[in-house]
Amino acid sequence: MSRSRLLALALAALAIASPYAGFPGWTPALATAVAFNTLGLLGLNLIFGVVGMLAFGQAAFMALPAYGAGILDQTGMPFILAVAVGVAASILVARLVAWVFVRLPGVYLAVGTLGFGYVVEGLARAFPSISGGASGLVFSRGRAISADAWYAIAIAMLSLGLVVYAWYVRGGVWRRLRTICHDELAAAVVGIDVVRVKATAFTIGCSFAVVAGLLRAYYVGVIIPEDAGVDRSLEQVGMVMVGGLGHFLGPLIGTALVQWLFMITGYASRYELVIYGAAFLAAVIYAREGIAGWIDRPWRRLARRLDGEAPREPALRQPTLRSEEAGKSGAVCLSVAAVSKRFGGVQALENVSFEVSFGEIFAMVGPNGAGKSTLFNIICGIEAPSSGTVRLRGDDLAALPIHRRAPFIGRSFQVARLVPDLTALANVMVRLDRIAPQLAEAERAALALAQLEAFGLGPLANRPVRTLSLGQHKLIDLTRAAVGDPPLVLLDEPAVGLTREELTHLAQLLEQLRARGSAVIIVEHNIDFVAEITGRGIVLDSGRAIALGAIRDILADQGVHEAYFGALA
Amino acid sequence: MNPLTQAVISGLMSGAVYALLATGLVIVFHTAQIVNIAHGEAYAIGGIVAAVAAQAGAPLWLAFAAAIVVAIFFAVALERVLLRPRRDWSINALILVTLAVAFFSRGVLNLLVGSDPVSFPRLFAGAPLRFAGGVLPRQGLGLIVIGFTAAIAVTAFLLYTPLGRQLRAAAENPDAAELMGVDVDRARALAFAIAGAYGALGAVLLVPLVSVDFQAGLGMTLRGFIAAAIAGMSPPLAIVAGLGLGLAEALVTTYLGALAQDPILFLALIGVALWQSRKVRFGGSLRA
Repeated sequence: MSRSRLLALALAALAIASPYAGFPGWTPALATAVAFNTLGLLGLNLIFGVVGMLAFGQAAFMALPAYGAGILDQTGMPFILAVAVGVAASILVARLVAWVFVRLPGVYLAVGTLGFGYVVEGLARAFPSISGGASGLVFSRGRAISADAWYAIAIAMLSLGLVVYAWYVRGGVWRRLRTICHDELAAAVVGIDVVRVKATAFTIGCSFAVVAGLLRAYYVGVIIPEDAGVDRSLEQVGMVMVGGLGHFLGPLIGTALVQWLFMITGYASRYELVIYGAAFLAAVIYAREGIAGWIDRPWRRLARRLDGEAPREPALRQPTLRSEEAGKSGAVCLSVAAVSKRFGGVQALENVSFEVSFGEIFAMVGPNGAGKSTLFNIICGIEAPSSGTVRLRGDDLAALPIHRRAPFIGRSFQVARLVPDLTALANVMVRLDRIAPQLAEAERAALALAQLEAFGLGPLANRPVRTLSLGQHKLIDLTRAAVGDPPLVLLDEPAVGLTREELTHLAQLLEQLRARGSAVIIVEHNIDFVAEITGRGIVLDSGRAIALGAIRDILADQGVHEAYFGALA
Repeated sequence: MNPLTQAVISGLMSGAVYALLATGLVIVFHTAQIVNIAHGEAYAIGGIVAAVAAQAGAPLWLAFAAAIVVAIFFAVALERVLLRPRRDWSINALILVTLAVAFFSRGVLNLLVGSDPVSFPRLFAGAPLRFAGGVLPRQGLGLIVIGFTAAIAVTAFLLYTPLGRQLRAAAENPDAAELMGVDVDRARALAFAIAGAYGALGAVLLVPLVSVDFQAGLGMTLRGFIAAAIAGMSPPLAIVAGLGLGLAEALVTTYLGALAQDPILFLALIGVALWQSRKVRFGGSLRA
């Protein structure tokens, strides 16, 4: 075990023992409550901190299983069964809420979860004979357990929760969730089923709340309607923000600090809400990384000093990946037939048809607004054509959602869409995670690294993307589109902003893709570059194809000159 | 007394408030592209400021003016101080900022008046009107007339005047609008000012009938949002949706009891979400 790990464990042991050290206000009773709340907030941190979903009903999901189990227990149902039903039903409800709202823009989930809080609180108030009404539902079973035993249970459950959380949010899952958080469209294009992943993360996050809420109810001995309410949920969001959104220890630090502060200041209940509100607002605006964010960097530095440089892993042999067989060179890869697209009254594309073969680099040129990006969007599934068909190797793509086209289609964007806080390597790997799940993590890393090295980006592979230049972003985006040699590669203005040296690399990459049998389409304004590397092409003007054929003939065509080069010609 | 007439009357009254709220929410959405979670706070602030001023002995007209001015100040300050400098933040981050403001505002209002509901005298006093087995307070009539007139007026402003069109252009493509000479900042500030004023207007008219407490804001945001979402964020439809929501709520309250209100609202929201989802082709709110 590394020295930094040992230090972390020692600190954890001190933290566990600290309630017995006699710090003012920091009692085992408070620490137990903090541990249970933290367990619930781990889930909120997953949903809100890691995936970036606006969910404001965590308190309702903590109260729901407690009400469920408590009410069923009163009916004389066996205790274990009552708990099991309460937990299962609550998780099911979470799953349904996710299913209804995650497809839509974030504000729907925000308002939906707020509304859910109102419903649970309202129902708890509405049926006092069942739910105990405003005075609360009493849980007497927890009284048999001593305070120290409760503390031991709380520590055990929190430790288990942290382990489960850390085990879930790592490697490929972390890359996937962060990509969704930052850019849902890019996530879908690299092959992530955004809706499903978000719904799963929401359900898992709520499951943390369900387990924690049930334990807390039996520990505290009572649950009142306010426990499910909107204020409580907002307080919890505030605690996670103060602790550090998306950081492993954020919920623990935030909950412990806030609850302890209120304990020593004597529950200033009249000021409680305004203090929470001010802290929340300040954290949203000024300290988006929270306290854990401040601690993170010094801790890493310390860990490096303690452990020394991590030994470089021996470079793995690059696995050969043919996830999707490219066709025979010369066979038709992509066939676009009579595609039209209208946006309201604007005809973006009108009856465009062309074919691209395997082992061919195909150019798409035309002035801005000619419909090139719309055509790319239609090919990779972001937009549906108003009419016409897109076929890949003869298969109609119409029914295939964006993320399921990723194994066949790699796409780069006009402005690179990368996740700034992930490394260059992770940004490339996120696509491999989806299209080559059969490879081991290390093999995927080796493959992505090899591809980055081909661009001379090897030394930067482990740097977060936000520390790199825009030109480098572009190359990383290209690398991601090309990794795994998909049958069809769509590159949107790949040459813009590249240095001469990078252009040479780009030409090599395109040639390499072509030689391995991929069909490559590039949208490009750099005509010299286009003339140099492409064989055939299409010219679009105001949504219509005005020339199609060998690039040499196109560039010589008079009509093209007028439409495209205008006065320059 | 005829419960149906009475339900329709109270539905018209709350519908007028929801139409005001939904219109404000939609105007802000169309100029700033965010859903302002702190929108309902204008209602809570307006109601509480009016109550505090009336209690302090201010004449009613002054209390109302103060309420509307404070609510406008609140909304414009939110835009100017917190949102405008952060225009490069993601939509979700900005929505979170508005939520934080709502939370903070609740705390301040709680500090100001405590947790008990407050109210103030009616602007339109006198014997209530009775017809078809229902009772309509004069204040209620004023609310219905003024509320819907104001909502329709601002919608017409948005649709048919040059300044209104600039407001909408500022939302659809801020950069292009800027180039065409639209002052995008001013358009946004104006939108927030209208939204704030309308929230407070709803409060000064409705609160004498139902009272207000420090946490009314989020509930009003919720209702305004549901109406706006039913309307697909379209300004003229938002008025109809606000009216429909008010009527539905009143009918549910009359025939199923006040306790069914929140669950029914939530069901309405689920219905809207499912209806909107049908437009989403492939998972996620995706735009290139």
